[in-house]
Parts: sequence; C-alpha cells; structure tokens
Amino acid sequence: MTLDAKIPGGPLAQKWDRHRFELKLVNPANKKKFDIIVVGTGLAGASAAATLAELGYNVKNFCIQDSPRRAHSIAAQGGINAAKNYSNDGDSVWRLFYDTVKGGDFRAREANVYRLAQLSCNIIDHCVAQGIPFARDYGGLLDNRSFGGAQVSRTFYARGQTGQQLLLGAYSSLMRQAASGRVKIFPRRELMDLVVINGQARGIVVRNLINGQLESHDAHAVVLATGGYGNVFCLSTNAMSSNASAIFRAYQKGACLANPCFTQIHPTCIPVHGTYQSKLTLMSESLRNDGRVWVPKQPGDKRSADSIPEEQRDYYLEKKYPSFGNLVPRDVASRNAKEQCDLGKGVGETGLAVYLDFTDAIKRDGRDVVSSKYGNLFDMYEKITGDNPYETPMMIYPAVHYTMGGLWVDYNLMSTIDGLFVLGEANFSDHGANRLGASALMQGLADGYFIIPYTIGGYLAGTRFPAVDAGHEEFKNCEASVHQKTARLLKIKGKRTASDFHRELGLIMWDYCGMSRNETGLSKALGMIRKLKQEYWENVNIPGTGDEFNQSLERAGRVADFFEFGELMIVDALHRKESCGCHFNTAYQTEENEAKRDDENFAYVAAWEYAGSGSDPILHKEPLIFENVKLSQRSYK
Amino acid sequence: MNWFIDTISTSIGKKLLMAVTGLGFCMFLLIHMIGNLTLYGGKDLFMAYVEHLHALSPLILAAEIGLVFFACVHVATGLILFLENRRARPVGYAVKKNAGGRTFGSATMPYTGFIILCFLILHLINFRFIEQTPDAIFQAVSGTLSDVSFKIIYIAAVFVVALHVRHGFWSLFQTLGANHLKYMPMIQAIGIAFALLALAGFGLIPIVIGFIA
Amino acid sequence: MSAKRINLTLKVWRQSAGEIIGSLKTYSASDISTDMSFLEMLDVVNENLIKNGEDPIAFDHDCREGICGMCGSVVNGRAHGHESNTTLCQLHMRHFSDGDTIVIEPWRAKPFKVIKDLVVDRSALDELIQAGGFISVNAGGAPDANAIPIARETAEAAFNAAACIGCGACIAACPNASAMLFVGAKVSHLSLLPQGKPEAKKRARQMVRKMKELGFGNCSNEAECEAECPKGISIREIARLNREFIKAEFS
Repeated sequence: MTLDAKIPGGPLAQKWDRHRFELKLVNPANKKKFDIIVVGTGLAGASAAATLAELGYNVKNFCIQDSPRRAHSIAAQGGINAAKNYSNDGDSVWRLFYDTVKGGDFRAREANVYRLAQLSCNIIDHCVAQGIPFARDYGGLLDNRSFGGAQVSRTFYARGQTGQQLLLGAYSSLMRQAASGRVKIFPRRELMDLVVINGQARGIVVRNLINGQLESHDAHAVVLATGGYGNVFCLSTNAMSSNASAIFRAYQKGACLANPCFTQIHPTCIPVHGTYQSKLTLMSESLRNDGRVWVPKQPGDKRSADSIPEEQRDYYLEKKYPSFGNLVPRDVASRNAKEQCDLGKGVGETGLAVYLDFTDAIKRDGRDVVSSKYGNLFDMYEKITGDNPYETPMMIYPAVHYTMGGLWVDYNLMSTIDGLFVLGEANFSDHGANRLGASALMQGLADGYFIIPYTIGGYLAGTRFPAVDAGHEEFKNCEASVHQKTARLLKIKGKRTASDFHRELGLIMWDYCGMSRNETGLSKALGMIRKLKQEYWENVNIPGTGDEFNQSLERAGRVADFFEFGELMIVDALHRKESCGCHFNTAYQTEENEAKRDDENFAYVAAWEYAGSGSDPILHKEPLIFENVKLSQRSYK
Repeated sequence: MNWFIDTISTSIGKKLLMAVTGLGFCMFLLIHMIGNLTLYGGKDLFMAYVEHLHALSPLILAAEIGLVFFACVHVATGLILFLENRRARPVGYAVKKNAGGRTFGSATMPYTGFIILCFLILHLINFRFIEQTPDAIFQAVSGTLSDVSFKIIYIAAVFVVALHVRHGFWSLFQTLGANHLKYMPMIQAIGIAFALLALAGFGLIPIVIGFIA
Repeated sequence: MSAKRINLTLKVWRQSAGEIIGSLKTYSASDISTDMSFLEMLDVVNENLIKNGEDPIAFDHDCREGICGMCGSVVNGRAHGHESNTTLCQLHMRHFSDGDTIVIEPWRAKPFKVIKDLVVDRSALDELIQAGGFISVNAGGAPDANAIPIARETAEAAFNAAACIGCGACIAACPNASAMLFVGAKVSHLSLLPQGKPEAKKRARQMVRKMKELGFGNCSNEAECEAECPKGISIREIARLNREFIKAEFS
C-alpha cells in the first residue's frame, strides 16, 4: 500500500480553490440517486449529514444515543477559532495556519491546516446564520477572546457552552433535513461492522440497541464521524459512550490508523476521587490566568492546605518556568503535575492532585472580581466536590481530553478504503501531535459543512458502482461475524465485569502511555495489556442476551476493542523514537525538559495497516513536507 | 372561520379561550362585588342599586347572555383540557413531589372550577330565578343567607372562588403572553390582592347580613 | 470535603421491556461514598447485581457533566432529584443521608414510552424540533457574521433560552406532561434573533400543533417545569411562545 495524500499542486493559498475546481461534480439531478451513510451526529457528523442532504443526496444518519443532539461535541466549553481578524490585532488566515502547525509540533499536513484556517471564516458566518447566540459586545458585534495562549483574539464563544450551541446549530439543520425526508435518522444504533465490497465501502451493519437486532444498510459511500478514542484510558473527559469501535472496525477492514499515540491531556480537570469514578470533568484552562499552582514541599505532607505555611509550599511552575509561570502550555502543565504527584507531593485523599489557589487573586482583586471571571466554574467545582474554592484551594489534575490520532485520510478526507470518508476527531488530519484550544470545533465543522460536500461529490462522480444492496452476501458475512463475536462474549460468563477490566486497562494506559512515556514502561504495558486481554476473553461476565436492550453487552464490545486499540497506541508510541507535542518520551527531551523532535527521522505520519489478528501491524509512512513554515523548537522558560 | 376553529383547537388556542373568558369573569366578579358592596350600606342603598341595575335591562340581558356563553366556553374548554392532561400521562408516579412552582390553588383548578360551577347553579336558583323586584331580591338574600347551612355554603364557595382567582388571575396574563420580569411580580400581587378582596367583599356578606336586615 | 460512607435503600422501577408491565423493586446500596454522583452510585449497584447474576438497572446517561441531556429520572418524586439546577449526573450523594430510601422512576408522559427500566424513548423531542425548531439556511449562503448587529441583551436572552439540553425534565415534572417549556425555549431562542424572524410565524404554528399531535398535555402555568429545569429556563419563554403564537395566528 502506498499512501497518497492527494495534495493539490500550486501555492498553498490556492490549493483548495484549485482542488475544488478540479473535483468532478455530480449532476444535480443525479444526486438523489446516491445514498450516503453518515455515522455519528457530533459537529462533524451532523454538519456533514445536513449539508449532504441540502445538496440533494439521500442520507442515512446513525447515532449511538437516543437523539443526535447528545453527541459529545456538546460538552466543548471554550470556543471556536476563526481568522476573521474582527479584533484588528493582526490575525490572518496565514497566522491561524502557522499557529496550528506550530502548535501541532510540526506533525500535521500544511495543505490541510491551511484549508482549515481558510474555512474557519465561513464556519462563523454559517453558524451565526443558523441562530447561534455567540457572545457579543455592546455594539452588537461578535466578541472574541484570546484562548489557549494565542497572541491574538480569534476565539468566538457562547458563554462556556460553545460546543453545545454549535452542535445544536448543526442538529437543527439536521432536523430540518430529517423533516424534509432527505435524511433518515437512526438513533440508538451502534456500528458493528463496515461492509467493503470490491474494495469500496458500501455499507454498514449496526446493532439496534433497543432490541439487539442487527440491521444492514447499503450506500454508495460511508462517512465515519465517530469521535475520538480517549476512553481507552477509561477515565477521560469523554462521554461514557464515546468509543473506538467504529474506527477500529474500519481499521480491521483496511483503513490505516494514523498516529494513534497522539493523545492530549488537559491540565485542569477535577481530580479522581475514588475507584468508582466514571468520568473526569474539565475545568476551563482560563483558571490558570489567576490561580497559582502549588504542592507541599515535603512529600507525604497530609496537612490541610490552610495549615501549610507559605514557606513550605512549592509553587513549582513559577519556580521552573519564571517567564510563563502558571500559564505554560497544556502538555507542560500536565507533565509537571504528574511529576510532583509521582514524587509523593500530591494532595487530596488520593494524592493525585495539585492545588490551584486563588487566595492571592482574591486578596489582590477582591472576591467580586474573581467571582465575575470564574463564578460559574467555581460553582461547578463546588457542585461536584462539595468544596468552596473561595475558601479552600481548588484541587486539579490532568485528564485525557482529546485524541489527535485517528483514521488516516487524504486531502479529500477519504481513508485508505475507497468510499470511506472520516471526519472530525475520528480522523488524524489537522492537529499534528497536539491540538490548540478552540480548534477541535473548527475542524469538525470545516470537515462537515465545507469539505466533505465537495470531496464526496468528486468521488461519487468519478467512480463506477456495481449494483449492491443490503441483501448482498458480504452483508450476511459481516452479520454472521458480528453474531459470532457477540455470542462468544456472552458465553464467557466469568467473574469480572467489563467495567472492572476497563478500569484496569485505563490505569495501565494512563501510567505507561499517558503524558510521559519511556521504552521500558511501554514494553511492560504491552505485555500487561496482552495478558489482561487474554483474561478478558476468559473471565468477563456479561449478563443478559444479545436480543434485548443490554447496556452491559454494549460496554463489553467497546472494552474488547479498547484492548486492541490500546495495544496499537503502544506500538505506535514505541516506534516513534522522538518526543513531539503530546507524545513525550522521557528519553528525548531538551535541557528545559521540552519535547525534543527528531525531524530528520520522524517528520512523517505513521499510518498503521491491520495485518490480521495476532500479527504485528504494518507501518506506512507519509512524509510531511514543510515548504511554508520553518521548523522550530518550543521554549517556555 | 375555519382558521379560527383550527387555532382554538390547539393547545395554546384552548388556553387562550380559558384566559379570555377567565378575564371576563374577573371583570364580572369585580363589578358584581362593587354592586354587592351596597349591601354594607344597608337595605335602601342595595335596593336603589338593584333598581338602577334593572333600569339598564337590555344591557344586563346582553351581559347575561355573554356570561352564559363565556361560562359554557370556560367550562367546556376546561373539561377538555382536564381530560387531555390526564391522558398525557397514562402511567403516574409512585412518588411525586412539588418542585416549588405548584401552589394549592394551581393544583386544584379543575376541582375548584367544578365546585364554582355547582355553586353558580345554586346561586342562580337562589337569586336569579326568582321574582326580580328589588324587595324580593333583598328578601331572598337576607332570607337565604340567614340560614346557617347557606351561610357556610356561601362562605366556603367564596373561599373556593378566591382560590381559583389566586392562580387564574396571573395565569391568564401568562397565557396571553404578558410575563415580563418587571411587571409579573405586580400582576401576581394584584392577583393575590384581588383574591383577598373578593374573599372579603363577598365572604363578609353572609356574616353581616343579619345586622343589615 | 471529606467523603463519608452511607447505606441506602433503593426502590427502582424495573420493566424488562416496553410491552411488559413493570414494578418498583427494592435494592440495597451499601457503602456508598458521598463523593459519588448519583449515577456512579447506580454503577456500583449494577456492578453488584452483575456479580450476583442479576439483571443490572438500565438507565440513560452519557456525558456525565450535565450538558448532553441524556440522563434523567424522577428521584423521590423530583425530576433529576431535589437539588435545583442540577442534572441527575451532577447530583451527588452528599445530598443524601445514611439510611435514606430513594425511589427512582422513569420520566412519565404518554409520548415517552419506557424502553427498559429507567430508559425512555424521547424521540418526540426530535420530532418537535423537526416541526420548525431551526432556521432554514443552507451551508455556504450566509452573509458575513457581523453583517447584522444583535444587541448584547438580545443575544443573552436568546442564549438563556438556547441553553436547553433537551433532557425532558420539564415534561416529566409537569403535572400535565406538557412540552411547553421545551418548545417555548426553542421558539424564544430563534424568534429573538433577527436570523430567526422570517420563519417565526410558521415555527410557532407548527411546533404548537406538533405538541398536540404527539400527545403532550397542556400547560396550566404551574411553573413546575421552571423549578425542575437543570438549566434554569424560565416560564417567561412560555409566555413568549404564547405571544409568538398569538401573533402568528391572528395576523
């Protein structure tokens, strides 16, 4: 297999225009003859399904929840970037492009990122037209804020619920198309297999979660927008149903998985409190603007925060990074927090937390000022922990938040399987080794509203489709293999629940493939996972049957895939003998403890091809060529 | 007229019928109470009022027809709403607590409404379907209300009316779309004051009637 | 705040499938940390049920941070439990005491059929949005985002209505199982903004008719919805819906 990214020629700024002209068009009268399956209803999936239907295609849209509006894009808080330069502070498409490539530590494709920056402006226009109530200034124009360390104000936001509002916008467009009959929505369906016939993605097999029945759906193209795989870590800021199964099925059918080891850890989450914690909650990064991070100097100091005197506190970020202090980037803040806790200086009942203290800010600015900035966050914190951050310092700890890796796609967002397109967090395309704040929403919507509608047309217009329907033999084969796997899982009737296994897997991943990695740890983890996986298939206990509403079975299937996915992440992390962005291998760091890239040997996308169960995956490399930016080393001292 | 039927068959349409007719009854209640206040001024004042009222008889007839029509609409629509609302939750809760929005008055609207309807029939039999001379009416009022059981019935009925008005008054403004952060507290206060006023204005009559007669 | 351990008795609605008659069953939840969320408490109960070979309690949930709107049950007679402005996933066990009995029931309304135990079918809410809860704009045709200034207060008011998470608590809490707050929120959000005005009449007319068609009850202005809404949406949105409806029907 050779990876052809199909990047159009010509100057960077003209590539997309040129490509759109070169793409074949589907005759408007013929669009209704094409069926497209879209899996997922988050920002990418809902926007794609709605837009494709607007163009006249027949769309079938699937989601795992009871309604398309529940997709986890809804939980994004901060905002969405766009190079509008409304703030007149020097922003431009080029600057957004450059910031994104640099932020991704030079492991993303220039052409894709540039296109993303270009489309960012169209997204905002469209979202406003959809009725999204973005924040506005007193003159009635859109307000912007600076976000995630960006030096320009280019982030559009709707209070702390930008993702919710954007998703509801896409959802409303989707509902409009559902009412018109051009989209058929299939809620409470989980993708169980991708059907590939003659090398083309021609349909899917889904499980109807209400009655357990398998359903086959055929189409001319399949679009996956099933989100990230952060739940490999069990505890993450992802929703409970977020999973890697859909992209893993595609991988098993021949789509390459790119850079799976690139996972982002967010530094300011509410810490874990107990074994039965199901989920981690993110607190906006903006808290670090005024909060001071500290731990006790003495390891094992279990006194309460207020009884630790000033001279016995270690403000480690301020000490280590005098110029950036508490505002160092996400990955640096996260790694340092873990380091302090590993030294035994962590606070709270579990010792896995550091303080984020607002005492000085309250002393300096007064409680009212602090409350006006962070009041809602403080309330949220108090609701969850029962502690009042005005009186006792907040406790925070990093948590898995976003996965940059995903299915490999070319410039058209098509995977290595013809007719299988991948959008949003599920693909690997735009964020390199690290995603900047407020860029995920931008990417999901750019993919769905403005890229796939063109590129899928090019594919459909230029491809011959043998007649295939859901009665085709291959659908039957896929259904049979799904049945078989389900039956095998249900038959085990062991002693441990799937959740129990998932927690153990998550812990291994967190400890050895989390925010810092090393070869010994990764190799050890690989062995541990394989052993645990084996136990899983012998000792998991799944109640009930496959012919009913069975949430335990749903979870068990996803956990089974997380094992495989975790292994692949480790294989990828082991092979990448450099540090870059969120992939921090302790063996490769600068004197400032920064990620040290090896551009000579690793400036490529690692795309893994499935080689069958039990065989090592095959590595394909897509070299990354930087013609427009100069590769540089980050420094925050 | 087709569109009108279509409009009033909707959920909000029916609510609007309730609100408009309810507003009519509130106005009637106020006028009726002002009229009845003449009782507190003694027999002569009351008789003068009745006589004055009868002088306007074509107007009164029109008002009566209007009120009957309003009553029919209010009762019929209320009944439909009541039945529809019951049907909207075929399986109830084993435990259901109020969250703070519901009041005793709001929770009992269909029931207080039904009691008011029954009372209204009694009230009409007592005072409307009798000889319509001022003297006869005064005799009927003082006679009926000096009976202890009627005293109790009338006071209780006024209490029920006040309860119905307590929720109905602000609720009709809400249904008509008049809920504003600035003015709603005032509307609610007026509703409560109106309910208390009606309670006092009508409710004291059976108590003081003995002294007036 | 340091965690305590409490023991509880649960009475949970169990119904193995939509067509089968359900009933309340009693379970004990022991050694529950007060730091747990309500759903984490149910997770623990379920883990034990599975280990004992019993059928775990089915309940809907997803984001567990109070924004997706997937979770929700009536807990001791209150939608999402007794804490205000809180979804069930954000309700924490520290608000309960040792020895408490907790009754957990699914949302009850004619259009919300029980699928299993505490899981109900809320697709009626999607159908309501399909009846007009959108602005008809195709991707690609929008003018510049700043072409139409919108007063900050207007945008804020629209946001307050748009904050709805579609959980259905308003309907579950309403004595009449009415969907007026849900519809009111969407109609308000869109009718306040200039972009939503061209379709305002059609939207109000169609969404209101759809409510009846789906079998929701009628509003009796009791404000239980407002009291239970996890996002604090006000019944003023219902008043605005009424205004929009009157404008649409009588003009």
